[in-house]
Amino acid sequence: METQSKAGDWRAFKRVLMPPVKDLHKLEVYEEHEGYAALREVLTTDKWDPTSVTNEMKKSGLKGRGGAGFPTGLKWSFMPPVDPDIPRFLCCNGDESEPGTFKDRQLMEYNPHLVLEGMLIAAYAMSIKTAFLYIRGEFADWITLMEGELEKAYAKGYVGQDIMGSGFSCEIVIHKGAGAYICGEESSLMESLEGKRAYPRIKPPFPAQKGVWGYPTTINNVESLACAPLIIRNGGDWYAGIGAEAHPGPVLYGISGHVNRPGVYEYPTGMLITDLIYEVAGGMRGGKKLKALIPGGSSTPILRADMIEGLTMDANSLRDAGSMMGTSGMLIMDEDTDIVAWLRRITHFYHHESCGQCTPCREGTGWLENIVTRIDEGEGNFRDLDLLLDLCTQMEGRTVCALADAAAWPVRYTIDRFRDEFEARCRPSLIPSGGVLENA
Amino acid sequence: MADFIKNPVVDLLDRNPEPVFSGKDLSFSKDEKAQIMKWVSSYPSKEGAVMHGLWLAQEKFGFLPPEVIQLVADEIGMPYADTYGVATFYTQYFKEKKGDYVLDVCTCFSCQLCGGYDILHYLEDKLGIHKGETTADGMFTIQEAECLGACGSAPMLQVTNGPYVNHLTPEKIDALVDALRDGKMPEFESVTLPQDEDELGGNRRTDVSLTPTYGVCPVSETLS
Ligand SMILES: Cc1cc2nc3c(=O)[nH]c(=O)nc-3n(C[C@H](O)[C@H](O)[C@H](O)COP(=O)(O)O)c2cc1C
Ligand code: SF4
Ligand code: FES
Repeated sequence: METQSKAGDWRAFKRVLMPPVKDLHKLEVYEEHEGYAALREVLTTDKWDPTSVTNEMKKSGLKGRGGAGFPTGLKWSFMPPVDPDIPRFLCCNGDESEPGTFKDRQLMEYNPHLVLEGMLIAAYAMSIKTAFLYIRGEFADWITLMEGELEKAYAKGYVGQDIMGSGFSCEIVIHKGAGAYICGEESSLMESLEGKRAYPRIKPPFPAQKGVWGYPTTINNVESLACAPLIIRNGGDWYAGIGAEAHPGPVLYGISGHVNRPGVYEYPTGMLITDLIYEVAGGMRGGKKLKALIPGGSSTPILRADMIEGLTMDANSLRDAGSMMGTSGMLIMDEDTDIVAWLRRITHFYHHESCGQCTPCREGTGWLENIVTRIDEGEGNFRDLDLLLDLCTQMEGRTVCALADAAAWPVRYTIDRFRDEFEARCRPSLIPSGGVLENA
Repeated sequence: MADFIKNPVVDLLDRNPEPVFSGKDLSFSKDEKAQIMKWVSSYPSKEGAVMHGLWLAQEKFGFLPPEVIQLVADEIGMPYADTYGVATFYTQYFKEKKGDYVLDVCTCFSCQLCGGYDILHYLEDKLGIHKGETTADGMFTIQEAECLGACGSAPMLQVTNGPYVNHLTPEKIDALVDALRDGKMPEFESVTLPQDEDELGGNRRTDVSLTPTYGVCPVSETLS
C-alpha cells in the first residue's frame, strides 16, 4: 500500500507562524506585517462578534497543539453564557516541559506578538477580561523578552482598557513558573496560578465550569493561540486547507536527536515522517540507520523504523499506527541507541515529576524506574517485563491526571516493540514469562 | 511513639535551623514592597503573587531559608505553611544555600542521547564534585536537570536559572567555567531556526550578538 504525504507541495510551503521576516519580534516590524490587524478587524468591524470568531475557529479545524489535540473552537464554545458578575479567565499554556518539545520557546522568541494577539482574540471570543500567560521558570530570558514586548503592546493600546477604542478591555498577566513539569497539566497550572502547590484537580468539573479561582476558564497552548490571528486574517477555510484534512494547519515540528539538522521547523501537518527525517532534518547523523522515533514528546508511544513507511504526522495516521501526535516534538534515534538505558531515563523523569497526590502514580513511577534500572544493570529477570506491564495496567486511567498514563505508555510500548532487547538484558527466571523457557 | 517516628528512615529537614538572615538584612526595600503589591493587585486573590514574591526573595537573598519564606508570607499576607508548601513544591526555588553559580545540566532523553551525561561527568571531574554538591570555595553547584525545552541544541545546561548554554563540548565547558570564575555570565544565545538559515541567510534577530545554529549533536559516550 502506497501512502502519500498529506502535506501537499510542502517544499513550497510559506511559513506563517514564524515567517521569514527579520526582527519580527519587534512591535514596529510586526505592525508592518499585518500585526494586530486581525485584532483590529475583530474588535472594530461589524463583521465579527464573539460567536462568529468562535465559529471561524471551529471551521478552521484547528486541534490544540499542547498534546491532547482537542479542537480549539469547540473548547471555546464550552464557556458558559456571559454573566457580568462572574469573571472569566484565559490561560495560555507556555509551560513546555514535555521532554522532546522546544517549539513554544522559539515561537515566543521570534513572534511574541502573534501569541499576544492570539490571546486577545481568544479573550474577545469568550468575553474574557483577564488572560494569564504561564511560562515555565526556566525560560527566564524568554520571559524577560515577553514582558518587554507586552509592555510595548500596552503602551500602544493593543492590550489593556478600551482596546482600539472598541470598548473591549483585556489585561494580560505573565506568570513565571518555577520548575515543575506537572504545571503544564491544565488544572495543575491553575492551582499554580492561584499560588498553591500545583496539584492537579479531579475532573469534572472542567475548567470551562470551574477553572482558576473557581471561575469559567479556557486554557490553550501557546502555539494553538498563535494560530487565531492567522485564522482571522486568512479565514478558517484557508487554515482547514493546509495539511492533513482531519488535523489541518501549519505545525511546528521540533526535531531532536540523531539527525544532521535538528531544530524547529514549520510545515503543514500530515508530513511523511520519512520526509521530515531525510529531507527536512538532513538525514541521519553519520549515515546511520534509523532505529526508532518518538513522534510527539516523551509520552507518545515509540515507533520502530519498520513502522513508519508511508506514515504521516497527523492525529489519525499516528493513532492507526499505534502512537500519537502529542506536541510534535520528535526524537530520532539511530541504530546504536540503547533502548533500555533510554527508557530508564524516561522512567526517571516521570518519577521525578510525579506530584505525589495519587498512590498509583507516586509509587508506580518509582517502581517503573526501579525495575527498568534493574534490567538496565543486567540484574533483571524475564518476569520483570510482565511485572512492568502489570504495573502499567495498575497505573493507567486510575489517577487524577494523565501523568500516570504518560509515564506508563512509554514503558508499555517500548517493551512491546523492543521486547527482544529487554530480554537480552534479563536473566531467565525460574518461572518463565509466557510459559516455555528457552536457552535456559 | 512508633519507632520510625523517633528514628526516621529518611533525614528530615531541620524544622528550626539557625536563621541565616536577621534584623535589617531580613527585609524588603520600599521598591521591592511596591513591586510585590503590584503583583498582588494583578491577581484576583493575593496568593497569586506568591511565586513572584518567592522569585524576588530568591534573587535578593540567594536562597529561601525559613525566615525568608516567612518574610514573603508576611509581605503577601499568607500563612507561612502555605508559602512554605509552594516554595518546596518547585525545583527552582533553592531551599538551601547553593554555589554562586548553579549549573543545571540537562540529561533528559534528547540530551542523554546526545551526550548529556558526558558533559555532566566531565563537569563533575573538572570541579571535583558530584551532582548535587557544591565546590569547597562555594563557587559552583552541579545539578542534573530534566528537559529544559532546548532539545534541538543538546547537550545543554542552564546557569543559575538564567541563560542557556547550548551545544556543549568539553572545550565549551572549560571556557564557561573560566568565564564564570571571572564573574562573567554567558550571553543570551538566540538559536537560529534551520529554515531561517535558508530563507534569511542566518539569524532573524539583529538585536542579539550570539546566534548559534542548531547543529549536529555529538555522539554520546555514556547514557547514565
Ligand atoms: C502531565 C501533563 C503535562 C502537560 N504539559 C503541557 C505543557 O507543557 N504545555 C501544554 O501546552 N500543554 C500541556 N499539557 C496539556 C494541557 O493539559 C492542555 O491539554 C493543553 O494545554 C490544552 O491546550 P490546547 O488545547 O491548545 O492543546 C499537559 C498535560 C499533562 C497531562
Ligand atoms: S497522576 Fe501523578 S502527577 Fe497526576 S495528580 Fe496523580 S500523582 Fe499527581
Ligand atoms: S532533553 Fe535536554 S533540553 Fe530537552
